[in-house]
Amino acid sequence: MTLSQKWTVLPALALALVMFAVPVALVLREALFDPGWTLVHFERFFGRPVFQNVFRNTLMVAGIVATACLLIGYPMALYIVTRPARWRPLLLFLVLVPMWMSILVRTYAWMVVLGREGVINHALLALGLIEAPLQMLYTSGAVYVAMVQILLPIMVVTCYSAMTEIDMGLIRAARVCGAGPVRAFRQVFLPLSLEGVLTGWSVIFILSLGFFIVPALLGGRRDALLGNMIVTQVAQTNWGFAAAMAIVLLAATIVLLALVRLLAARFIHSPREGGV
Amino acid sequence: MRLSTILFAMGVLLLFFPILVVVPMSFSADRFLGFPPRTWGLTWYRAYFSDPVWMAATFRSLRIALFASTIATLAGLLSVIGLGRMGPRWRAGLTGLFIAPAIVPNVIIALGVFILALTFGATDSVVTLTLAHAALALPFVVMIVGAAYRQVDPNLERAARVCGAGPVRAFMAATLPPILPAVVAAAIFAFFISFDELVVALFLMGGAETLPVRIWNDLRFEINPTIAAISAFFVVITTIAMAIAELLRLRTQKRLR
Repeated sequence: MTLSQKWTVLPALALALVMFAVPVALVLREALFDPGWTLVHFERFFGRPVFQNVFRNTLMVAGIVATACLLIGYPMALYIVTRPARWRPLLLFLVLVPMWMSILVRTYAWMVVLGREGVINHALLALGLIEAPLQMLYTSGAVYVAMVQILLPIMVVTCYSAMTEIDMGLIRAARVCGAGPVRAFRQVFLPLSLEGVLTGWSVIFILSLGFFIVPALLGGRRDALLGNMIVTQVAQTNWGFAAAMAIVLLAATIVLLALVRLLAARFIHSPREGGV
Repeated sequence: MRLSTILFAMGVLLLFFPILVVVPMSFSADRFLGFPPRTWGLTWYRAYFSDPVWMAATFRSLRIALFASTIATLAGLLSVIGLGRMGPRWRAGLTGLFIAPAIVPNVIIALGVFILALTFGATDSVVTLTLAHAALALPFVVMIVGAAYRQVDPNLERAARVCGAGPVRAFMAATLPPILPAVVAAAIFAFFISFDELVVALFLMGGAETLPVRIWNDLRFEINPTIAAISAFFVVITTIAMAIAELLRLRTQKRLR
């Protein structure tokens, strides 16, 4: 008998059941029973163009934000991983601090930067590049920029940790065999890092699906995402409909995770598998 | 300077730029936000610290975050020990359950917790909110402490047991010290998960606002410069706490290598 007994998982299990599993089950019940079995909330959601548009917009925003994060985040991770070992923790720290910064605070900061009297307008006016302040706040552009900035650190960290698992000896081997740096990267490093790429992309996609602070504060009326719809419906005490939308969100999350798994299993070699 | 370094610096600038704008902004004495501020002063800090509503929200959030972090850290640490003793199937299943709240969008969990609280008449309750925050922070504790725990040599604890230590003492003497920095780091991360959490608090708490709810309600109707002061405060505290947490995490890795 040691302290390391299985029962020590019980407090965490109780917490996860009461505050996560049961609530999610209750959302499902709320969406499907009213009080008898019904699909009326889902019919309403998929029957009205307004909600369809929001759903399509949510998927599109998530896809664009995840892809933008990948295009910026992958090179940043690559940069960190190719620096000398003693510099890496510091460089990674530069990415980690913004990652843990409050999303509300970062969104507010963008309001300050993008506003009519904001930093960018002020600078452009001072430089004489524009004559009147640009409307940047309450536009889709503001939503995209802020979401990318908020989620980018997660992409960098995910890609970085996948890259550290790659055996650099393989790259050296490729170089010894006559491959140039670009070819060694494309044929050896890139395929081995794809697992991290896919994980990072799908994590950002999923997190974007649930965003509501940024579109609410920085976007216009047409930039509302599914998360905003849910918050609005809860405020109007339409819990059944809010629950149905939450289930759509959850289903989208699960479908995406399943797709990613399938893709990864078929096309991607994990650096832990060994061979290329 | 090499092109790659310049591009990386631009990426870091993108990450820091808005945060860095907020700090000088908070020392503005103008009535409305404009950049750069025309007059300087501590007006907005004074407004923040002298407003009973903002102060109540701040202390409420601090209290909730402190308790939620403690609960999540203890439950997470204990679960990591138990998971280590399980068969691979159970371990994978339970770890998946503990980590799921980090993947499932918070809006869904928030709505579920709200419905649960409605059923039991536990809305507007600091206790419900604290427990919900603890569940949201649990994934991070399980991941961080779990990673450190797997690197500890289990023979150390066995040796302590053989030498006659009780189970608790053996754990305290052999396993806990090397993972303690990771546990503290996890507690810091857990604290910030709760301190910054908006949507559960928004649904659950009608009258008693937490700090994020107060900020949210304020931002939706006007851009009040008081929030610049609060944000600058947030920026400083988060940076210091993250520096400590990261140093602790690095130390764990070095010690266990």
